[in-house]
Amino acid sequence: MGQALAERVKLPGPFAVGRYARKLEEEMKRRARVSLIGEVTGLSRSKAQAYFELRDAEGAIPCAIWLNDLEKLGLPAQGLRDGAEVVIGGGPDYYRGGAQASPAFYFRATQIRLAGEGDLLARLEALRKQLRAEGLFELQRQLARPRLPKRIGVVTAESGAARRDLLAGLERRGWRGTIVWAFAPVQDRHAAPAIAAAIQGLAAQPEVEAIVVARGGGSLADLWAFCDETLCRTVAMLRVPVISAVGHERDSTLIDDVAAVACSTPTHAAEAAVPLDLNAARGDLARRAGALRRAAAGAVAARTPHLVALARGPGRALRRERLDLNQKTREIRAAAERGVAERRGFQRRLAAVVLERARQRAAGPDMEGRRAALRRAAVALRAHEPEHTLARGYALVEGEDGEPLTSAAATRAADRVSLRFADGSVRARPEPEA
Amino acid sequence: MAASEQDPSPKPDSYEDAVERLEQIIDRLDSGQAGLRETLELCREGRDLVNYCAAELDAVGEDLKELKLDELAERLAAGTP
Repeated sequence: MGQALAERVKLPGPFAVGRYARKLEEEMKRRARVSLIGEVTGLSRSKAQAYFELRDAEGAIPCAIWLNDLEKLGLPAQGLRDGAEVVIGGGPDYYRGGAQASPAFYFRATQIRLAGEGDLLARLEALRKQLRAEGLFELQRQLARPRLPKRIGVVTAESGAARRDLLAGLERRGWRGTIVWAFAPVQDRHAAPAIAAAIQGLAAQPEVEAIVVARGGGSLADLWAFCDETLCRTVAMLRVPVISAVGHERDSTLIDDVAAVACSTPTHAAEAAVPLDLNAARGDLARRAGALRRAAAGAVAARTPHLVALARGPGRALRRERLDLNQKTREIRAAAERGVAERRGFQRRLAAVVLERARQRAAGPDMEGRRAALRRAAVALRAHEPEHTLARGYALVEGEDGEPLTSAAATRAADRVSLRFADGSVRARPEPEA
Repeated sequence: MAASEQDPSPKPDSYEDAVERLEQIIDRLDSGQAGLRETLELCREGRDLVNYCAAELDAVGEDLKELKLDELAERLAAGTP
């Protein structure tokens, strides 16, 4: 409070306010005359003047033009209207008011023309340069875009060709998912904030995977809402990919620069929003399923002969083993039987000896009589043996084969004969008969 | 173990992932380098992926649904999907 008092003490004056107002008016009118560009808003008219605000995203200036001056400009009917982009020429003015009239500040316009393509392009280029320098063109392009989104958001005018074209494009894709429409004005001074709000609203929906912003063609002034700095900054910062389809191929708006994808038509936007052609994808999927089936069948078929051979292998080995086993079994059985037989033979022989001895013991003195009879028989038998006859001086005639020759005819027929005596043989040749 | 008793393949994150994996599987099978067991496992995984992809295609291939953002926002606020 003390400081405020000190300032008051230092300041010049006090001056009469009317005199100060006049000085201020003179000061304003001395300021340089310039031209400004911006959007007309809040247009109104009195008997003598037209009033409006000229504004852009950063600020606004209250403007006024005498109706006389306005008529001389020859603007087209409805040329000066809310939402029009205009270039005005003039300078600051201050109306000091009067005993009954209120004071006011205006930018006193003496010239007004609708902003031309060149004016807008110059503004657009300045904005483009600024946003590019801030790196806002890269953010959306780095986002991953799903090839097959289930739900897409669309910002467009409720009635317009863009909506119809987009639907047709999606239908050609074979896509019948869910569309969330966010309708917004696309051409006036309310358009940019409404579009920005719609985009933000769609991005806030958890299942919206891509957002299309679509509008048909027009002049750059018609499309100017899509060059709005605030809208474009909003789009650049979104984490959901935005596909812009504003105007036609030759139209280039700032939203095209910040969006993930810029398309020339709503039809192209449909293809960008759903990169996968479902009709082709079904064919591809069937082809892949077929490849899998063939691979599975082929893998088994290629190995079948080998598997069959492998399956037969154990059978063959088993049969071979079984034969070997049977042979061995037979050999073991035979060996066992031989062992048993030998043991039985031995036991049988043992038993025979024991029995013989027992029988001899049981036979007693009768055995001696039998032995004496046997000896007699042997003597009688030896008396008939040829050797005994030879010993008495006889000779035995034998053929070359050792067989006895018992007739003269047989002896004459033989080439050689052998005369066997008791003490040896003499070889002889029969002489032929005279 | 029968195929039906085996654990199902992990569900892919997206259609793109599923198709990419499917292509890898087919390339591997086409190379002829996979053994029988690997081949059969790849085929099983591939069949699961084909089924997943077919379901994804069906999910966006039946009936187009159109919602309005305002209505959707109201339904979400009311707690109904």
